[in-house]
Amino acid sequence: MKLKRDQKWFLLVFLSPAFILFTVFAALPTLRALGFSLQKWDGLSEPRWAGLKNFADLFQQSDLFLNALSHNVIIMVFGGGLTLLTSLCFAALIHRRVRGAGLFRVTFFFPNVLSSVAIALLWVLLYSTTEFGVINNGLIALRGGVQGLLDYWGFKITLPDFGLPFPFTESSYLIWSVIPIMVWTATGFYMVLFLAAMENIPETFYEAATLDGASGTAQFFHITLPLIREVLTVGLVFLVIFSLKFFDTIWVMENQWPRKESHVMATLLYQKVFSEYNVGYGSAVAVVLFVLVFLATLVTLRLSRREALEY
Amino acid sequence: MGGRLKNALVYTVLILWMLVVVLPLVWTVFNSLRSSLEVTENPFGIPWLFTGLPEKYVDEPAIPAPIDSVQTNYRKAWTDSHFGDFFLNSIIVTSLSLVGILAFGAMAAYALARFQFRGNRVLLLYFISGMMIPAQLVLVPLFFQFTYISEWGSALLEPFGYQLKLHDSHTGLILVYIALSLPFTILVLTGFFKSLPSTLREAGIIDGCGEYRVFWHIMLPLARPGLVTAAILNFLGIWNEYLFALVFLTTEEKKTLPLGLASVSIQAQYKTDYGLMFAGLVIVLIPTLAVYLVLQRQLTRGITVGALKG
Repeated sequence: MKLKRDQKWFLLVFLSPAFILFTVFAALPTLRALGFSLQKWDGLSEPRWAGLKNFADLFQQSDLFLNALSHNVIIMVFGGGLTLLTSLCFAALIHRRVRGAGLFRVTFFFPNVLSSVAIALLWVLLYSTTEFGVINNGLIALRGGVQGLLDYWGFKITLPDFGLPFPFTESSYLIWSVIPIMVWTATGFYMVLFLAAMENIPETFYEAATLDGASGTAQFFHITLPLIREVLTVGLVFLVIFSLKFFDTIWVMENQWPRKESHVMATLLYQKVFSEYNVGYGSAVAVVLFVLVFLATLVTLRLSRREALEY
Repeated sequence: MGGRLKNALVYTVLILWMLVVVLPLVWTVFNSLRSSLEVTENPFGIPWLFTGLPEKYVDEPAIPAPIDSVQTNYRKAWTDSHFGDFFLNSIIVTSLSLVGILAFGAMAAYALARFQFRGNRVLLLYFISGMMIPAQLVLVPLFFQFTYISEWGSALLEPFGYQLKLHDSHTGLILVYIALSLPFTILVLTGFFKSLPSTLREAGIIDGCGEYRVFWHIMLPLARPGLVTAAILNFLGIWNEYLFALVFLTTEEKKTLPLGLASVSIQAQYKTDYGLMFAGLVIVLIPTLAVYLVLQRQLTRGITVGALKG
């Protein structure tokens, strides 16, 4: 197709707003971030060339960065792993025709539309050590109940107090305390994702398997799981990327001042740049974060390009 | 295991999780109806608003009537703590960003999907590769870039009597939201425009419509499902966005809801004003909940489409 003159104008008019905005506010800043990470700069004076010094600093200056990175990994492995487990489990349960599937789907998904700030604050209140902290009060009641039963049955055992009420939101425990929040929020999203994939599997597969005497569990492992592998991989990448970019929850729960025990990469980046004016160091963290996200995406694209099962 | 027992087990698990998801929110709404005194005395029961004040407080003049506590909580949140402003700001920022995203996204996607020109594929790839850029990476350069873009822009607009202000202004935030939402939007919409039959455009041209009218009157209405999907997903992302708003907005009156909630909560916790805190949470949670209940079908479908394509 040869373009006419007025069509060229049309294309120019239609493409330039998106092109200019994307270039100025997304593409150029990406390149500049790479530049920043190679400079020593406090944001005001003349920036100085630093080569790879910022990246060396990440690993040598202190254990701050490795600590933060290890927290991202904890969130990825435990938060991501648990989310994967619960969402697959619920998807499998709902997939086998339960009544009220629609209701379960709608309610399970619902935390995903809420603001992450609101969710973090809600959990601060749930975790609270005061009179209204639901979780601590629940645990105390549980301990009391078990103790009562022990006494009733005549055991002469006194349970330890397990440090209750437990300060879940203190910096040193925070990384572990955000894991239930992540599972609570994300389970519904991945369940909806996996369920959509499961519903694409032809019913005849299951009918044939049932005739052959395969149990529900066997069907899940030998039919469902292999056939949703692609979507499972997509879900996995999402979880990895999400854990690498983790920010809001920690930032809010730490009242905008995380400490060494609670930093993740994104909070460290923010603090270094906007509180300590160490632009180079912060940008180096951002570049590492970007490279990890990029690698995660690449690996998954690689994996999912393998022969897709035809059915 | 017997079928019946198994069934009971399945429902128990599912209903338990449902309660785990829903009860914290019911609790939040209930607590927003309580005074701070009631929050500490009656944190888990039905609010006194519904059951009436307990005996011991009925003749106590210092204890406000439950309905007054509700009013106090929400008035304090809405007026004194600026949640009214935050709400308005969120509406302004989100709606203007959405208009920009859908307009520029649809225009670019249409041009890329329906016209063969040199560099077409490269340009599409350029846009889509933007999906991999984490917000944290562009955040810092944008912060510094805003300063001189504002200067250039102001110089450019000066003859018309305008000034461009990107720091601590909604304009800057909106432009960033549009730019960073374009990759995903263009990806989804290009797919949609490609699936429309090309004869439609030719018929329109033959009937004497220009390219602009073909786009506006034929293609755009047909792409509506795609636009709706893009609108819903972008709405949730921008309405709840925190990181950019945190960096770019500093004046209290300009803050969006998530940002305002975070700053008010610090004061509320400090003053142990639990009623205010719960009321603020409800103000933030209810609108998205309402939107979700109305659009839940399109939303979950959009997410699966997006994820399976992306």
